[in-house]
Amino acid sequence: MSFAENCKEAILNGNIELAEKLANQAIEENIDINIAIDAFSLAIRKAGDLFEEGDFFLPELMRSAEAMKGAMTVFEPKIMEDKVDRSLGKVIIGTIEGDIHDIGKTLVAALMSAEGFEVFDLGADVPVGKFIDKAEEVGAKIICISALLTTTMVGQKKLIDQLKERNIRDKFKVLIGGAPVSKKWVEEIGADGSAENAVSAVKLARKLLEE
Amino acid sequence: MGSRLIDLGLQPGTPPESWNITQPEKIKQIHFEYFGAGSDIVLTNTFGGSRLKLEAHGHGDKVKEYNTRAVEIAKEICPLNGYIAGDIGPSGKFLPPVGSITEQELLENFIEQTTILAEAYVDLFFIETMVDLKEAEIAVKAAKRVSNIPIFASITYKKTKRGFFTIMGNSIEQCSKVLKEAGADAIGANCTISSEEMIDLIPLIVNSTDLPIIAKPNAGQPQLVEGKTIYLSKPAEFTRDIQQMIKNGATIVGGCCGSNPKFINEISNQIKREKK
Repeated sequence: MSFAENCKEAILNGNIELAEKLANQAIEENIDINIAIDAFSLAIRKAGDLFEEGDFFLPELMRSAEAMKGAMTVFEPKIMEDKVDRSLGKVIIGTIEGDIHDIGKTLVAALMSAEGFEVFDLGADVPVGKFIDKAEEVGAKIICISALLTTTMVGQKKLIDQLKERNIRDKFKVLIGGAPVSKKWVEEIGADGSAENAVSAVKLARKLLEE
Repeated sequence: MGSRLIDLGLQPGTPPESWNITQPEKIKQIHFEYFGAGSDIVLTNTFGGSRLKLEAHGHGDKVKEYNTRAVEIAKEICPLNGYIAGDIGPSGKFLPPVGSITEQELLENFIEQTTILAEAYVDLFFIETMVDLKEAEIAVKAAKRVSNIPIFASITYKKTKRGFFTIMGNSIEQCSKVLKEAGADAIGANCTISSEEMIDLIPLIVNSTDLPIIAKPNAGQPQLVEGKTIYLSKPAEFTRDIQQMIKNGATIVGGCCGSNPKFINEISNQIKREKK
């Protein structure tokens, strides 16, 4: 099997040890780090596709994301050393104040890191102001704000309103998530988008930055 | 219950169970509305009343108080021919690889809540909205361990291209088998899917079990319009769907998120008309 096929097997089987072993092997054999990481990225995207198709469920997807994380941790010192700029951009993510649901948000964060975004996960029950302050502080390109309750969804609107008040709405792309979020709600509050699931969310984030 | 609590002013961040102490009259009013609408069984305001769930809100020290009072409130208003079900929802924590809770911690969590509910004399347990079969199984086993009263166990399914599964990938057949073996007396589905989608689900559950079947769909999908949550389903359409589910084999029916006493009243009247 080729290196890429091995990577695919490690990620799709959620085999953390194998993923780490392959990453170490790539470094030892002086394989171009970009090529090596791309092999893993391709595999995690495949895991995402399987999730979207209903062939993978939450446990399989989480295991794949964990294996990806394992490989990336091995690559990290090398990335720093070579000053390879692989970051797609900085992303702030969190669940809105008053809402403690964080599984969807955590999943999106895991897949975004796997894809190459630099993710700042603020956790759950996060005040609107904190999203904005952190985004300003690190120079984020995207803010992802999750609300699982119809009662806390209004916080998503509050975030956009505050960005407008502070005249910085154009500095960030705002993605909103959570089961009750609809297209209509995205339009109503003037967000930049929402996605059906974690996999589409990552695709959407990439697309927005390409625009 | 939850949708009505929000109508009555429950604020974000407040655990609904705290109203058993701070707003008992409102909880009683909701039970009164449901019995008045024709409900045979009402569920106590304890869906998020387990320790793990309350701890997430910083109310971990109130488990006994919230659960006991919830049953007392329901009993104060329950008619002679009515039943009180102790409502038990998910812990909000996940087993590995999704989360890091252990099976033992989940078991203790549910033993505590079911013990309190049983000691307050609920007529049955209603374990619902479970998205992980393993957690549902643990909750049923906990309930079975503390009391001999009936256990209803209801799973939240999602429709995928390959059929109905929980988000953890548990199939209908697996859920039916495991829940029966754990000791459930009735099994079924609630939440997330609308009444229209649940019509197709019921025959599949019927084929997988000989237990009585619960159908408690959402009243449409929630939509937020001008800052208010509305569910795009009307009592008449909902009732038509429920009638179809009864024809398909459901014997315990009701409404989940977005439904209200009007929906229950319509269903109850329809069932009575058909019995005549």
